[in-house]
Amino acid sequence: MSIFEKGMVAPFFLELFYFAAVLLMISRARKGLKVPQIQKVPGLDALEEAIGRATEMGRPVFFSPGIGAVNNSQTMASFATLGHVARQCARYDTAIIVANRTPFVQPITEEIVRQAFVQEGKPEAYVAENIRFLSDDQFAYASGCVGLMLRDRPAANVMIGGFWAESLVMAEVGSQIGAIQIAGTANTAQLPFFVAACDYCLIGDEIYAAGAYLSRDPVLMGNLIAQDWGKMLGTAIVIVGSIIATFTPKANWLVDFLKK
Amino acid sequence: MRNEAPIFLGLIVGLVVIISNFFRTATLTVVRSELDQWYMIALNFAMLVGFINVSRIHVDKINKKREGWQYSIALFVGVLVFVVVGFAAGSSSAPRFQWLFEATLDPMQSTMFSLLAFYIASAAYRAFRIRTREATVLLVAAAIIMLGSVPIGRMIWSFFPVARSWILSYPNTAGMRGIQVAAVLGGMATALRILLGIERGYLGGI
Repeated sequence: MSIFEKGMVAPFFLELFYFAAVLLMISRARKGLKVPQIQKVPGLDALEEAIGRATEMGRPVFFSPGIGAVNNSQTMASFATLGHVARQCARYDTAIIVANRTPFVQPITEEIVRQAFVQEGKPEAYVAENIRFLSDDQFAYASGCVGLMLRDRPAANVMIGGFWAESLVMAEVGSQIGAIQIAGTANTAQLPFFVAACDYCLIGDEIYAAGAYLSRDPVLMGNLIAQDWGKMLGTAIVIVGSIIATFTPKANWLVDFLKK
Repeated sequence: MRNEAPIFLGLIVGLVVIISNFFRTATLTVVRSELDQWYMIALNFAMLVGFINVSRIHVDKINKKREGWQYSIALFVGVLVFVVVGFAAGSSSAPRFQWLFEATLDPMQSTMFSLLAFYIASAAYRAFRIRTREATVLLVAAAIIMLGSVPIGRMIWSFFPVARSWILSYPNTAGMRGIQVAAVLGGMATALRILLGIERGYLGGI
């Protein structure tokens, strides 16, 4: 009897290969070997502009890490962006409002923003009341965010993380109050809403690249190269599968292998 | 040590959870189940943290009589009613608690959800304005999808439903799957970076 869970043999070896590639690139970067450049992400470049605009207007920056739980990778990815946004806000003496839906995320975002203000040498400027837990109910959270936006009129609205049906409600209200909006999610069903309603949109895996892109840390940048290798492998499997399905429709060995 | 201890714990627990997805052993199953329970317990304590945060902000608002302070009272009354009825009913599936939920929260949630129809219309109006070549493609595709989805579209031209089906099944699915594959890989790489302590955004620094 196999010790593998049913259908997990191929995923295990594919994931092992992928993790090995990630570790290889991290080790190359640590040794100081050359790591290829990564393409520009306009949405992340625009963060500076958005915070600058809020500073000039004397209005706050609104940040939402989405409604995903803390064990959602999109929520974890949003923390890197929050750290950067909070540091910029601390540097320019701009208020930052963070609205949380998950109670677990609340203390983490509090700590990230507090640390950002400490790192910028302005711990006294940190306002604990601006890191808000609104509700763990999806639409109560959305209405809470809408209320915050309408009352506090943020000049910049950053929404990065896992978003579902509330995405358009929040993005449209942000658009109506004239905030510069930067949004990103890996939930494909919500991407069209963000593309339509926001000034900049991080699509899919771009939200996971934020930490590396904003910090410019070579180790993290190397990690992104491994991500590209993974995409190339995925594309290669799709192409090979398409060729097999086209020319030998009855040959299912690739599908059988992936299902093992 | 303050930073290293949680990273080390995270690495061990994360590896156990990842491995338990691939392998089937009695020990792993027990450990995974125990970890899931710990997560649920921690989650419930976190709920308390959330409530303390909400209370602190709204008590301050009531004390200082800030604009809209009456709504903060409504919030506390709402919490109190739900807690009292919940404990009295004994279970969240009890008819009294269910009635309270269906009579208050349910309609409010539906109201927020129904707002989406209007927001979709205003967002679509902006997105479909022909400013660029991409916006033109979007407009044409959206028009075909909309006409292909309603009976009048079929009456105008029987090809609309066929075109709709083709757009959704091929270009749309291909694009979506591409984004999904990349997002999954990105999520896995992020998980590995966090487990290894390379990305420490959640600890207050990138």
